[in-house]
Amino acid sequence: MDSTSIWDERRGRIVTRKGGWRIGEGVRVGRYSLLDDLVGKHGFFELLFLEITDRLPKPEFIRWVEACFMCASFPDPRIWCNQIGALAGTLRCEPLAAVTAGTLASDSILYGPGVGRLACEFIIQAVKEERAGATIEQIVARRTTADGRMRLPGYSRPIAQGDDRVGALCRVAADLGMPDGEHLSLAWRVDAYVRARSKDCLNMLGYAAAFAMDNGVTIDEGHRLFTLLVNAGVHACYSEAADEPAGTFLPMRVDDVEYTGAPPRPLTGDARA
Amino acid sequence: MEKSRNTQFAQRVRTGIWQEVPDPENPWLATGARCHGYAQSDMVEHLDYPQTLFLLLRGELPDASQAEQLRRFLVAFCNPGPRHGATRAAMSAAASGTRTIHLAAIGLSVLSGDHLGSGEVERAAAFLVRHRDADPAALAASLTVGDTPARTAGDRRIAPGFGTLFGAVDPHAAGLAAMLRAGAGHWPVLEWGERFAAALHQAGCGWLAPGVAAAVCIDLGFAPRAAAALHQVASLPGLLAHGLEMNRQGPQAMPYVPDEDYEIIDNDDRTLAGDGN
Repeated sequence: MDSTSIWDERRGRIVTRKGGWRIGEGVRVGRYSLLDDLVGKHGFFELLFLEITDRLPKPEFIRWVEACFMCASFPDPRIWCNQIGALAGTLRCEPLAAVTAGTLASDSILYGPGVGRLACEFIIQAVKEERAGATIEQIVARRTTADGRMRLPGYSRPIAQGDDRVGALCRVAADLGMPDGEHLSLAWRVDAYVRARSKDCLNMLGYAAAFAMDNGVTIDEGHRLFTLLVNAGVHACYSEAADEPAGTFLPMRVDDVEYTGAPPRPLTGDARA
Repeated sequence: MEKSRNTQFAQRVRTGIWQEVPDPENPWLATGARCHGYAQSDMVEHLDYPQTLFLLLRGELPDASQAEQLRRFLVAFCNPGPRHGATRAAMSAAASGTRTIHLAAIGLSVLSGDHLGSGEVERAAAFLVRHRDADPAALAASLTVGDTPARTAGDRRIAPGFGTLFGAVDPHAAGLAAMLRAGAGHWPVLEWGERFAAALHQAGCGWLAPGVAAAVCIDLGFAPRAAAALHQVASLPGLLAHGLEMNRQGPQAMPYVPDEDYEIIDNDDRTLAGDGN
């Protein structure tokens, strides 16, 4: 049997660098006192960044992060995660259940924080390839299928072509005096290449991934930081549906469902339990 | 400037699973339903739960050995047990006053993990599908060669569903595999897994419970994603039972690490406030 020391040492014992609460003494967040050093002096997003990464962010970077959250918070219940919030509202779920379910739905391979992680992985690898001498054409070609489809996380989005949020976030970054770095510089050059050959282009998640990498955020940190990216939109759609009569959000008649399965058939002989 | 892709969305929801019979007077109401063609009323009279589950997920009724194996699977994986993090999540929530209706979602969310959870079941199922035709001994040798366990690294994963539990071969998982393999029927993936696990013993590894669950599901004809879902279905009663048992007992019903065993260590102080990220 292998040693069990790693579990023995942790049995009934917590060793943490994050902080904690000692009753009567206060709450530590890293080396800060929550109530004395942070409350009233820093914003919630700074605290979020600190609790994830163990370090306080630059003020301008965290304002940009907050802008990202705003850009992903459409109060539109046709958007999939938001619709889950609305359905929960019309079914009179608690808001926590609604927002948790809607936000969880954004762990998707098509949009939301899940795609953001893939976009981070892509741009980090692409930078490595470029440093090793690869051209943009070669970087893209390595991610193009035999039938010519470019598989570039962060360069397309469902329903729409183009992404107005990128321009808005660029303006925020410019106003904050934050320059593009190596990752974003490459992301723009890939964007130009893709635009010239398709109707796709850099989207918000691809832009945010490159910008975050340029500002010293790791993939895991970014993935965790943007976990609740869509939550305000879910809140909005839940709230409105919860305020309407129960069961009235996008109700469906029986014939609104098209049945495509087996025709009616009897349960016979052996099938019966 | 954004432009619509003019995506062609479905005009109606389509499903091959469930057909509601409309009320002739009120199109919003249904008078009955069919599941893959079988009247729900007949199902209530004649099917048990494993048969119903198989029908819902596969579209056909199981044969006798499939139904019996699925029954055995549902019992075998009915409870991750009170030490599993998913169960502890449900228990902790219940004890601390969380509304009972949230316990299933809380438990299943934590059960979704890639370590001993439904996420690992899906990954193990994909591994088994990919390698079921390979020689298990040769594959085990290739995966363990040069794999030196680090004593500080926790458990080993030779492949999803196979490795160590608390540093050793998991006897409970091995027992479950043997029991389920003994069920009447032909279970080639379970048998392959048995040979693979046996070949890993020299490296101190073997079956893990998610691997066993995955193998049963593949033998029953389920895809890896469905295997994860079946594992969640199977495990939910145990999660809920422990949660309900702990319900409203108060936080004192669960251990709370005392301050003397709660050590806050300093960071390496990479930055000062506001000076970098």
